[in-house]
Amino acid sequence: MIALQGVSKRYPNGTFALRDVDVSIPTGEFVFLVGASGAGKSTVIRLLIREELATSGRVRVDSEDVARMRRSQVPRLRRKVGVVFQDFKLLPTRTVEENVAFALLVTGRGGRAAREETERALSLVGLIPRRGHFPNELSGGEQQRTAIARALVNRPRILIADEPTGNLDPVTSWEIIKLLTRVNELGTTMIMATHNAEIVNALRRRVIHLDHGAVVRDELEGLYAA
Amino acid sequence: MTRIAYLFVSAWQGFWRNPVMSVASTLTVALMLLLFAFFIVTDRGLEAAVTILESKVEIVVYLEDNAKPTEVLLLKSRLETDPAIARVDYVTKDEALQRLKDIAARRSDLGSIEDVGTNPLPASLELKLANARETPRIVASLREELGRGVVHDLIDNPTVVDKLLTITRVLSAGGIAVLAMMLFVTLFVIVNTIRIAVHARRDEIEIMKLVGAADWFVRWPFILEGMLVGTFGAAVALAAIVAGAGPVTNALIGFLDILPVSLGENFIWQLVAGIFGFALLVGAGGASISVRAHLSH
Repeated sequence: MIALQGVSKRYPNGTFALRDVDVSIPTGEFVFLVGASGAGKSTVIRLLIREELATSGRVRVDSEDVARMRRSQVPRLRRKVGVVFQDFKLLPTRTVEENVAFALLVTGRGGRAAREETERALSLVGLIPRRGHFPNELSGGEQQRTAIARALVNRPRILIADEPTGNLDPVTSWEIIKLLTRVNELGTTMIMATHNAEIVNALRRRVIHLDHGAVVRDELEGLYAA
Repeated sequence: MTRIAYLFVSAWQGFWRNPVMSVASTLTVALMLLLFAFFIVTDRGLEAAVTILESKVEIVVYLEDNAKPTEVLLLKSRLETDPAIARVDYVTKDEALQRLKDIAARRSDLGSIEDVGTNPLPASLELKLANARETPRIVASLREELGRGVVHDLIDNPTVVDKLLTITRVLSAGGIAVLAMMLFVTLFVIVNTIRIAVHARRDEIEIMKLVGAADWFVRWPFILEGMLVGTFGAAVALAAIVAGAGPVTNALIGFLDILPVSLGENFIWQLVAGIFGFALLVGAGGASISVRAHLSH
């Protein structure tokens, strides 16, 4: 369960990134965040992983108030919320398998259990055959699948994808969307910020439309444009 | 790879990723430690010399011939209660004369003094000091007694100790000032080395934070890298000390010959431990400052 209650975010220069946003996302839902660049989609994502704090209002993830969380509790939140980006953010000097295992290594899990979790994540995204390759030897879709595997290897309750298909061709984009749909079907809450109208329109999931920091539309089985 | 292994491997890789900077900070640390060791050794040596000389320091208080015994005893017991004075010996006129005769008997050039009529030597109080630093105070207080019928004259000879104490004080103050400056420079270099290391690994740090690595885990590779710089610096400094110890000792032997100075049995191990401890502290400290400044967001 994710809840934003009366959330505003104002930057020191006075501009509002978000204005009085009320959104509630039940566990297991698939939600598209749409809107023009600068509408506030990325700000919502940054608030959810506590990369930023709201100026006012309350942000709750798993019924926990993110702003009241102690600094030492933030890593625990981040393990609960996996994130995937447009630019993949893979480590170029590590193989696919090492990139995925990295998320376990740095959060304190190693050994056999970690190898099994890595295996599971790689097989979920279909990258077992490419496990020994380096990111620069992979296609864009494969790189994004590696990033998704890394986000999933900690078994997060929520997966956030910020323009995951932004750098990919249409066919590859569909592969990634199918993968994310599948992850959602396995029980992970899915929040996806996108500009891809074709995908939003085809999937007919909940659409939250942001404009200048405000929610202007929130529809179940919505379309990209009203 | 385990999590702990990751920390050490990252620190090691971080050190070699920018070798010029790392070697520069290592040498700065080494230089600082050499100064540190130099001051410690000099300070210890002077301290030992002062202690030896202190045990020899005496003040002799010559008494008036007609001083009343009760007043002499009063002065003696007053001096005995002073913590800076280790011992007070009363030497009678007869004992003084006997000493002179003993000396004369061993030295033919003085001739016979058997035919001295009345004893010209005064009785005296001989003070052995526990702490030579207190000499001026004691002498001053005894000078006040001059001309009051008990104390006739004073002899004190603390000039060597005085000079050594002055040297020790100047060296300590100067040493602390130079060390403080050197420490500042060293910290500055380490902070910058680690800043560059943080910058080089910023992608990895971003991902670590994103997937929920604990703050300490993100920081420790850099702290360890700072400690690595410290350890290498300590090793270089110790190598230089070992190489230089022989010639320096030879040069000092004239000085050491005068005074049977010993720096203590365990001194060398204390010095090694001190150098490594100080190096690790400075390395970790500099890295912490840098990490705090450059990794907070």
